[in-house]
Amino acid sequence: MKRQLARRSVGYLWILPALVLLLVFVYYPIVENFRLSLYSWNAFRPVPKFVGLNNYNRVFADPVFWTAIVNNIWYAVVSVAFQVGIALVLAALLEGVVAPRLRGFLRTVYFIPATISITIVGLLFRIIYQPEGLLNAFLGLFGVESTRAWLGEQETAIGSVIAMSQWQNLGYTTMLFVVAIQRIPKEYYEAALVDGAGAVRTFFSVTVPLVREMTTLLMIVTISGAFLVFNEIMATTQGGPNNSSQVLGTWLYQSAFKNDDMGYATVVAVVIFVFTFTAAMLQLAYSRLRRVEQ
Amino acid sequence: MKNRSIVGIAAVMVFALISAGCSGPTQSGSSGATSTGELTGKISFLEKWPDPKYKVYFDKVVADYTAAHPGVEIDHQAVGDQPIKDQLRVLTSANELPDIYFAWPGDFANKFIRGGFAADLTPYLDGTEWGKSFASSALGAYQYEGKNYGIPINLNGKVFAYSTEAFTKAGVSVPTSFAGLKASCAALSKAGYTPIAFGNQYGWPAIHYITQLNAQFVPADVRAKDYAPTGGDFTNAGYEQALAAFKDLIDTCGKKGSNGISHETAQAELTNGKAAMQYLEVLEFVNLEDKTTVPEDFIGKWDQFVMPPVDGAAGNQTAITGAPDGFLVNAQSEHIDLAVDFLKFLTSKENAAEMTKVIGWPSPVEGATTAENASAATVKAVGEIQQASELAIWLDTIASAEVAQAYLSGVEGLLNGDETPASVMEKVRTAAAKVKAEA
Repeated sequence: MKRQLARRSVGYLWILPALVLLLVFVYYPIVENFRLSLYSWNAFRPVPKFVGLNNYNRVFADPVFWTAIVNNIWYAVVSVAFQVGIALVLAALLEGVVAPRLRGFLRTVYFIPATISITIVGLLFRIIYQPEGLLNAFLGLFGVESTRAWLGEQETAIGSVIAMSQWQNLGYTTMLFVVAIQRIPKEYYEAALVDGAGAVRTFFSVTVPLVREMTTLLMIVTISGAFLVFNEIMATTQGGPNNSSQVLGTWLYQSAFKNDDMGYATVVAVVIFVFTFTAAMLQLAYSRLRRVEQ
Repeated sequence: MKNRSIVGIAAVMVFALISAGCSGPTQSGSSGATSTGELTGKISFLEKWPDPKYKVYFDKVVADYTAAHPGVEIDHQAVGDQPIKDQLRVLTSANELPDIYFAWPGDFANKFIRGGFAADLTPYLDGTEWGKSFASSALGAYQYEGKNYGIPINLNGKVFAYSTEAFTKAGVSVPTSFAGLKASCAALSKAGYTPIAFGNQYGWPAIHYITQLNAQFVPADVRAKDYAPTGGDFTNAGYEQALAAFKDLIDTCGKKGSNGISHETAQAELTNGKAAMQYLEVLEFVNLEDKTTVPEDFIGKWDQFVMPPVDGAAGNQTAITGAPDGFLVNAQSEHIDLAVDFLKFLTSKENAAEMTKVIGWPSPVEGATTAENASAATVKAVGEIQQASELAIWLDTIASAEVAQAYLSGVEGLLNGDETPASVMEKVRTAAAKVKAEA
């Protein structure tokens, strides 16, 4: 009994360093963030002032905060449609329709954008989206005369950034689906063929159900990614024009480091936490459910 | 209590960006620095010009100083224009500010002063040869409650640079009034030019126009009260008139979609002969003469003029938007004397003249910018800045951050037609009221 207890203690000792690191660098800041969201403070004011729920009232009454939430939701919806829906179709086409020789080439072409730094992608698309940029010139080929500043106008700024993000990430998720499809036993496809199923029926009856785990995982990753998005906005619009392309991450940054309003920023951080924590909980719940089913 | 701030900032950053990290320069220390004896010790120096064409000058000054003072070591770091704003805030929270650090004049610097992070340099400047060597307007930009806290390094102001060829071709002469400036645009357009090259992707180019027009439309005492850190009312009608005049000017003379064009792209239109003029900083003159990027046709074929007066406006018609860039000394530094001695060296007449010669910046040191080491346009602009009755400091650094952000986003909306001058000012007043409540 004593020996068993000693062996267990040694085990706990091994996990202690990781536990301490997690406590200090993850859980303590989370708790501290909740506490500080009740104070008004900034880098130049050494003594935080207790303001209760005032920061929460300010955040929820701020139209820019709601613009940011809506933009994040749009980001998530479009990203799921492209990086999960279209990526799956693309992967199925690559594996089932495209000639084997062309497959490798197309996979590389789709994947290349994911390897480029977001700073470079941002710079590239700032040029493409200029009034005299490539996009307007391309539209001109079809007789659409446009001098629109895609990143400079409130109506199109966030949509243009979301489109850029899909261009960059579609290839990456497509590759993940390709790997998932390659793991499906060929017998299922042969059986579908024998049963007389066409390509579309085979896709919905074989491919979609058998890549369900990957689909769920990518949905959760894409949704949490959409609520943590930051670099894409900073590399292009920085939240402008007139705050129309703010997302929670950039609004937090601007409130903390430009407006010197750390108390307000901590509330935005709490909201981000709520969204990403919910996504993580759903992921955990789903994986537990799957394990039970299996 | 300061530790709480550090933990707090860490909490915010870890919370939202768990995987992100940041780093900053570390402060080192040693002893024995005095202004009278042999100077020894290590100081840190943070400036905002990492571009090699500027950094070469600062590197040389640091090397020359340490060569002359073998017991001194300088940890020199350069961080870009945008990141330095964040880095200084993080370093302030962590109580890790360098011994010498860059700060824009106005409320940006005043925050450090009010927080006790900037040393009072009045004893080093008041009545001394060093103090007398600076243009008073430049030194005055870093004054707070009658005391000097900053050392100006350059002299900057906003003027219109224009293509002499475009003006000649269009039969236009240098405008002498704001109405004349607007009227000249029709002739320039007819001659095939975009009259004013304007790109507002970063937000600040519009704010520089507004700084100037606010100065011309709103009396100085009203502005001083409104821009104060305690927050103003911004109820003077001149503010809306300034926004309306700006919108009218850009609609008449600029190109559509300016929020999607960068300042540099707009500048390329001027140098490539597509645009006739651009409102730019004197420090940018060097870009207009850069043989590696500017077509030969443009070099030497441009001149400049200041924003012309607005007839009947209630503000100061001879004010020029601009401010020097400069450095503060950390009040908690163990080597204040050494830091000040280095700044004296950096702003000596010889080094100031060298700065103008090497990187083309006009100097606030009397007699350092001359026809021998600067272009004719720079000498002319320096004369105009020195003659100006007022140096209107950039709106986005003189006003509180909240007010500045309200202006920045509001003016972007104004340019797109999504906001009106009245709605922009409503946002500014809301921001100012918040600042006032928290003061």
